[in-house]
Amino acid sequence: MRVLSVSVRDFRCYEAAAAPLGGGLTVIWGPNGAGKTNLLEALYFGCTGRSCRTVNDREVVRFGSRTARVVVAAEDEVGPHEFTVGFTPGEPKRMTHDGAPVERLVDLSSRPLMSVFLPERLDLVRGVPALRRAHLDQYLAALWPARAANRSTYAQTLAQRNALLARVDHGGSRASLAAWDERLAAAAIALMADRAQASSELAAAFAEIAPSLGLEADPEVFYRPRSQASSIEEFQAELRERLSSDLERGFTEHGPHRDDLVLRHAGRQLRTYGSQGQQRLGLLALLLAERRVISRYRAAAPLILLDDVMSELDRERRQALVQLLLNDGGQAVITTTDQEHVPLIESPEIALVGVGGGSVLSPQTATAGVQ
Amino acid sequence: MNTYAPALQRLIAELSKLPGVGGRTAQRLAFHLLRASEEDALALADAIREVKSRIGFCEICFNLAEGPRCRICADERREGDVICVVEEPVDVISIERTHEFRGRYHVLGGALSPIDGIDPEDLRIEQLYARLRDGEVREVVIATNPTTTGEATALHIAAGIRQLAPATAVTRLASGLPVGSDLEYADELTLGRAFSGRRAL
Ligand SMILES: Nc1ncnc2c1ncn2[C@@H]1O[C@H](COP(=O)(O)OP(=O)(O)OP(=O)(O)O)[C@@H](O)[C@H]1O
Ligand SMILES: [Mg+2]
Ligand SMILES: [Zn+2]
Repeated sequence: MRVLSVSVRDFRCYEAAAAPLGGGLTVIWGPNGAGKTNLLEALYFGCTGRSCRTVNDREVVRFGSRTARVVVAAEDEVGPHEFTVGFTPGEPKRMTHDGAPVERLVDLSSRPLMSVFLPERLDLVRGVPALRRAHLDQYLAALWPARAANRSTYAQTLAQRNALLARVDHGGSRASLAAWDERLAAAAIALMADRAQASSELAAAFAEIAPSLGLEADPEVFYRPRSQASSIEEFQAELRERLSSDLERGFTEHGPHRDDLVLRHAGRQLRTYGSQGQQRLGLLALLLAERRVISRYRAAAPLILLDDVMSELDRERRQALVQLLLNDGGQAVITTTDQEHVPLIESPEIALVGVGGGSVLSPQTATAGVQ
Repeated sequence: MNTYAPALQRLIAELSKLPGVGGRTAQRLAFHLLRASEEDALALADAIREVKSRIGFCEICFNLAEGPRCRICADERREGDVICVVEEPVDVISIERTHEFRGRYHVLGGALSPIDGIDPEDLRIEQLYARLRDGEVREVVIATNPTTTGEATALHIAAGIRQLAPATAVTRLASGLPVGSDLEYADELTLGRAFSGRRAL
């Protein structure tokens, strides 16, 4: 699905504004504080009903206003589509898809997929495994929506087994433990197989993309499962081995809820040994690699939003990044304070959107889409 | 809240124990009953009393029954060598509608769920095993819901039967039911197909 434009009303610093998107790369430029990140956030908000920047949604409502509204216009083979989100703090969000109210935009099977690079997302590379695990599962769900259920089945079964362990500790019956172990093992094996398959495709794309962004010394991404089991029986055996310590702790210590997705450069984890710049490149390469794999399985690559990425890259890498974004066929939006940071900015393949003083400057402001 | 007369308060409290009825709905229902004619309101009370005094659980399969045995257990034409295990009486109704099954049932009264404190002892699993002891049952079809709790219950029962009555075949309804859905919501066609394509467990 191709995003055509985003229109906002009373969103962050914008009273009313609309910005068209190009079919490939769109560059949002303007001085610090002009509203570039706000516009990226609006795109994300309009397509998902959530902010990519804050968990506190009321921040997005323009100071002194009651309701923020975002309209995203898109199109696919079928025709035009529209996604809207209206948000008044203290009230449930009002979201629509093609005019019909929807409970959650993220549940829609046909919506623009999003991939976001914000400076604070570096935590994905630097932070605890749980963040990467959750990210891996999201990417997996984008690849194969039907398999997303395996993750929730595993999580539900794990919660049941943990509840049982805690009850046994308080003198409860352990008669059903074997059944829960078997269920957990089946769910674990399915989830691990999905993660392994998703990661191996990712590994190949990452190994291609990372060097061109300047991570030249053996960049790798790979799935590191906690369990070595390759069958339900083997996983059950692993659970049995750890039963007494699980009972002592009152929860299940072993399994795919402890997995990691490891990013390495020159044989060392980027998480611990990478420089800031290398971590940033690692994240960028990861998102671009995911996007390449997803575009093979789904009709369209995710729309990738890259905030403030240029200022941190040297000349050669800027060039490489712009080439990558122009060549991979999907839509991308980047922000920059300085047009000179974007190689090929003059090229007709790049759409330019200027922002400043709470409005979109060029092309001419068109607010018709927002009521 | 405490300004209501005690009798009214009691009614509101009882109504709000019903599933899906919160405090506000309970108040609305209570005021509705208060305004209704005496005849209508007492008809409701009578219906509740009658259902409680006449309908209980079948002594064999724990389906709902008027009297000691349910309609199905009392029906001589039903095959006695196949038992279909379900979570709730409403699942019996869903399966009966498909007309695919001619055997008898066993209603567990729920599914294993440690989170909700439901252990094997809280379900009618021992009573199921007791029905298998004389060796007349050839097959047990486990038709618990295809949810996390339903699947674990199926595995638990299958393991128990393998130990207790190894000659009894244990089968599971074929999937084809939407994942995570309750039997209660499956349409008749899918359920019928699930029945004819059951697999060994
Ligand atoms: N709810 C709000 N109402 C009004 N203005 C807001 C609101 N939230 C943020 N702003 C303002 O929006 C302005 C632009 O923010 P934004 O983060 O988009 O800038 P930017 O163009 O990305 O700048 P930089 O180049 O420094 O990253 C800020 O000055 C901020 O004060
Ligand atoms: Mg910014
Ligand atoms: Zn009966």
